[in-house]
This record gives sequence, C-alpha cells and structure tokens, in this order.
Amino acid sequence: MTTKITSAPPAAGLRKESRRRPAASPSISTVGRPGFAWALPAALFFTLFAIVPLVMVAVLSFMSWNGLGSPQWVGTDNWSRLWDDPVMLKSVWLTLLLTALGVVIQTPLSILLGVWAAGYQRNRAVLSVIYFIPLLLSATAVSVLWRALLDPNFGIPADATWLFGDGNLFGEQATAIGVLAFVSTWQFTPFHTLIYQGAARSIPQVLYQAAEIDGAGRYRQFFHITLPQLRNSMITSMILMIVGGLTTFETVLILTQGGPGTDTTISAYYMYDKAFKGFDFGAGSAIALALVVAATIISLVVVKVSGYDKMRSSMEGVS
Amino acid sequence: MKTRARLPRLIATGATLALALSLSACGDGNGGASADDGKIHILVYGDATNKIEKQIVDKFNETSDVKAVLDTIPGADYQKKLQTIISTPQAPDVFFNWGGGSIKPFVKADLLLPLDDFIKKNPELESKFLPSVFNNAVVDGKPYGIPMRGTQPVLLFHNKNVLKKAGVQPPKTWDELLNAVDALKDEGVTPIALGGGDVWPTQMWFQYLFDRIAGPELFAKAIEGDKSAWEAPESKKALKMIRELVDAGAFGKNYDSVKYTNGGSVALVAQGKAGFELMGSWYYSQQLTDHPDFAEKGLGYSAFPTVEGGKGDPKNVAGNTNNYYSVLKKTKHPEAVAKFLELMYSDEFVKAQLDVGNLTTTTNTDEFIETSATPEYSRFQYDLVANAPSFQLSWDQAYPQSAASDMHKAIQQFFNGQLDADGFIKAMQALPTE
Repeated sequence: MTTKITSAPPAAGLRKESRRRPAASPSISTVGRPGFAWALPAALFFTLFAIVPLVMVAVLSFMSWNGLGSPQWVGTDNWSRLWDDPVMLKSVWLTLLLTALGVVIQTPLSILLGVWAAGYQRNRAVLSVIYFIPLLLSATAVSVLWRALLDPNFGIPADATWLFGDGNLFGEQATAIGVLAFVSTWQFTPFHTLIYQGAARSIPQVLYQAAEIDGAGRYRQFFHITLPQLRNSMITSMILMIVGGLTTFETVLILTQGGPGTDTTISAYYMYDKAFKGFDFGAGSAIALALVVAATIISLVVVKVSGYDKMRSSMEGVS
Repeated sequence: MKTRARLPRLIATGATLALALSLSACGDGNGGASADDGKIHILVYGDATNKIEKQIVDKFNETSDVKAVLDTIPGADYQKKLQTIISTPQAPDVFFNWGGGSIKPFVKADLLLPLDDFIKKNPELESKFLPSVFNNAVVDGKPYGIPMRGTQPVLLFHNKNVLKKAGVQPPKTWDELLNAVDALKDEGVTPIALGGGDVWPTQMWFQYLFDRIAGPELFAKAIEGDKSAWEAPESKKALKMIRELVDAGAFGKNYDSVKYTNGGSVALVAQGKAGFELMGSWYYSQQLTDHPDFAEKGLGYSAFPTVEGGKGDPKNVAGNTNNYYSVLKKTKHPEAVAKFLELMYSDEFVKAQLDVGNLTTTTNTDEFIETSATPEYSRFQYDLVANAPSFQLSWDQAYPQSAASDMHKAIQQFFNGQLDADGFIKAMQALPTE
C-alpha cells in the first residue's frame, strides 16, 4: 500500500481519500462517511496541544535547560543519567505497583457496585447518585480533603488510635502507598461503576429469564451470564485504570510529595520533581517521554492480548 | 420526556460555563503582568506577612499614577512558579526572594536590573539599610535587592503553659534540652513539634547543630565544593546527636505526616499538644494570625541551646538574613518601581513589620523597637542578630536551587532512619555546588 501511495503521481487527479485507500474508496464514498474536513478542528487542537508539545519534550530530553536562557545540547546525557538513577528505577516499580493495586482493588468493587446499580431495586437511584459524588470533585480537592482527614493530630487518626496507632500514615512507605491506593479507589470507583452499570443494563433480560427457567440461582447467573457479558467493558475499564494509574500525579503531589524520602516517588512525580523542583527540564523531559512510550506500549499490549481490537459485539449468545 | 429534552440544553450550559471559567482562569491565574497593563506587578511569597505588603502597596497607590498590584503565591509553590514564569511575558516587575544564591541564576541569565542607577539617584536606597543585610543581595559587585521584610533568625519557640506543667525551663544547653524532652514525654505531650512533611523545618535542626559543633567554616567549605567537609568528624558528631535526639522520641513518631505550611505543627504548639518548635522568627506573626490568644499569652522563645565542646560560637544564629525585592530588567516603569522600593525604609513600613514581630533591617529600626507592639520580642531578636558573629543562611537557600530537592530527601531520610550517617554523607557529597 505504501509503495502505491508513493508511486502514485501527485497530478493523477485522484482525490486524496481515494489515494489513501484505493481499493475501498468506492464503497466508502457511497456510504457517505464524512471527509477529513470534519476532523480538522479536533486534529488541529490535538496537533497544537498534544503533538507539538510531545515533539518539543522529545527534543528537550536531549538538552540541558534550567528554565532560564537558552537550552544547550547535551546528547544522550539525560538518558544515560536516568538509566543509572536508582530513584528512577524505584519510581517505575512504584508506578507499576500503584497501577496494579488500582486495578486489583477497583475492578471487583466497581463490578459489584455497577451490577447492583443496574438493577431495578427500591432506592437504587438515590444511592447511585451518592456513590457518584466523588467523581464530581477534582482530584486536587479530593487529595486536599483526605490530607486533612488523615492528619495524625487533627484528623481521624487522632480519634481512632486503635486503628491508626500513632497516625504516621504519611511517614512510612507501606501506609503512604496504602493511602494513595485508597484515595484513588475512593475517587475513581464511581466512574468505573458507571461503565459497568451501563454494560450490565444492556445485557438482554431474556438471558436471565432463560437461566431462571433452567433453574440457575443468582450466583450462577452472575458468574455465567453477567461476568462473561461484561468482558468488553472490563477491558475498557481496565485500560482506563492502567493509563490513569501510570499518569497519576496530583494525588501524590498533594498527599505525600513523593515522601517519605523517595518512598512514593512514582515516575510522573519524579518527572515533576526533576523539572520543577530541581529545574532540570532536560531530565524531566526524558522521564516524560519514557512515560508516554511505556503507557502506549502497555495499552497496546492489553488491547492485543485481550482481543479488544477484534471486538465486534457484546451481544454474544443473543442471536 | 420533559427531562430528556432538557438534558442537552443543560449539558450545553454546563459546557459553556466550564469553558468560560477556564478562560477567565487563564486571564488572571498567572499571577503576573501579561502585557503592559500600565501597572507594576509585585510577586510575593504568600503567608501571614502579606497584609503588610498589601498595606504598603495601598500606600504607594495613594500617590502614584502608575498603580502597583500585589500578587501572592502560596509559600510551598513560590520558588517553582517564580522560576517558570520569570523569563516569560508573565513575569512580574518586582519579586520577593532570599538574596544570595536564590537570585544568582537570574543575574546570570541577565534578567535582573542592577540597582546602581536607583541608588545613584537616591543614595538612601542603600544607606538606610544595615550593610551586612544589604550585601547579601549583592552579586558580582552589583546590588540586586532591597530588603523588604525582617531578618529571620531561627529560634526555639515554646508553649509556656506546657513547659510550666512539666517543670521545664527553656533549655540553655543541649543536655538541658534532652532533659526537657524526657520531662515532656512523661507529661504525655510531644516534646518538639516538627513539620517534617515540609522537610525544611527538619533542615533547621541540621543547620544549627552543624554550626554549633563545627562552626560556620565547615559548611562554607562544603558549599565551595570541598566534598570532604561532610566526612569530617564534626559532621559525624552532629549527625550522631541528631540521631540520638530523634531516637529519644523528641519529635514523636508521626512528624513526617505533619506539616508547618498547613498549620499542623503551629496548632500542635498552640493547643498544648507539643512543647517546643524550632522555627524562623516569622513564627510569631504566624501564631498571631492562627492563634492570636496563644501568641499573646502563651508563646515563649529562646535562642538555640549551646553544645558543650562545640567549635562554633554559641552566639551564632542560623536562618534567613532577610527577604529582598529584586527588579526585572524588562520593567516598563523603573521610576515607579524606584519610588515603591523607597517605601521599604519608610517609618510606616518599619512600624508595621515590628508590630507583627518582624525585625526590619533598616538603620532607623532601633528607634521604633521600644514603641512597637512587641518591644520585648523585637529587642531579643535585635540583640541576638546584632551580637552574632556569624549568620548561617538556610542550607537550601545557600546551595543552588538544583540541589534543594535532593538535599531535602537526604535530610528527611536520615532523620526518619532510612539513611544512616554514611548514606547521608554520600548524598550530601553528590549535591551540585554550582
């Protein structure tokens, strides 16, 4: 295909669209799919605010710059320093750990809540709205809120010493990570619940009616009808969780500042630390670029492995 | 049906509102002068002293045609915000800094206006300030800053009632401090409040102990690039004493979860849950804002205790010499800026600062101390600073900005036991010194 494109003379009089997809063009144009012009505004914004900065970050990762004056070329210096940096390696593990914790904790919670919220019980709507509230708050507000609630001397730990001990939640690695995982769970479970609620609602009732006639109980219905039918939503939700987990930042910034020491310094925070606290924008850019590449690869792998890319319909077994 | 029809309109309204909000946020959220709006923008570290900066700006605006606007950035974010906007069109005309190392990179990048011309036109801009303080903002022989707050020695503050209950006197020596720690622990209070979450309050303990034990020369050596300074026996002794103090439970166990900047450690002392707190002299004005009743009746203070056998003069102090206003080269209203800076030695300025416990460094300060709201506190600071053979600048201000983050990590990790003395020494040796 690529050879065809390059070999095609520009003055051949073919329309842009047909040059790109010579074989499929007639059928597509008859269907009347909107042209590229429709995507232009979005593409323009995306280029201006995503592609251009991304390219600039890539260039900056080979430079040394402290925010003042003009940047200097330093070759691969930033990258080799990063490679030898133990904090960087640690931050990668911490990022993966927090992401994994997010997926493991939030998925079962939001499936259960979502399936429950998809039902037609009494008071369901009211409770669903209440569950939804954390999602309406900004991540910053949520983090500030929990930072105050978990203050060792003036928050909950001060009155619940039987549970929190000395209340040093932000001063030890295990508890600091626990707090981070808990706060993101509190904030993002409603969103994933919403995904599962929608998906569970779209499962045809006939499946349940048939199962009931066959004598399947509630648990069997859940494990043999609901869960399989939610498979595609699960993948969607997990990809969102993974990408969200890899790019978590403000929660760490406000709750722990990467501390104690570097014990909760995840990669995104380390990038900020390098760039905006140490004013080493070169190293910061290198971390940023590495994060983009890693997040893209992981998402692609998840999509491939899960068969999400070949997905056709979620109505398996209906026809 | 009705609700369904209404929904799209609701969404549209919401989206418009969100857009409008974010747009207006772009407009005024940058804390600086975007284009030339005919005003001078003054960027200041946000804390309790801002009310005086506001008062002075208002005073200036009464008479000046070119109006001044005060922009504040919350303390914890000040430095990074400043460095990100200073070489952009959003940069302010005048900004708050710590003099010395904190403005060197800006001078190097040719962003700052040397104040020679201002001083030539009005010599009082230099002669009205104490030379030792004024000189801290001289870079490569040229003045770049005008002192704009008070000098800020770090003092050991305490809650009088808590100490009285435990039968403890403000400690004069290190041993007395250790005894006080034990006595306060027996009373069931945290002996010393510490906002470890901010890390720079933790750093104050290092600054003072290193100075008391090794004298100011050791740190001066280290900052000039002699990495062996950190391995010196005095350095190891200071670290050992910090370790002992932490292990004795002087700071409780949850200090890393506590912050000064969100008022946590301040409230601990004010509410009698802790006995001491080591903090800069701005602590008084912070307590006065947060807990006025306690600040007036219960807040005591003393100098950092002496250490037996230490090489440093026990009269030495550590802290910030002062804060400064520096001027950007690109300002369009240098005359107005010069007029504004002249207010920094006005009687009104000196009185207002003294009334909240900030000790100004103008030559006329002495005559206002006795009539200020807190003559005793001002006099104590004044004598302390005037008699100090050496004034150790805060470590994170003395080192280049690029070192501050790693230095804070090392300090926090040594304090909470994640790093041993050797690990700390290695981390400090790895810091860039220029």
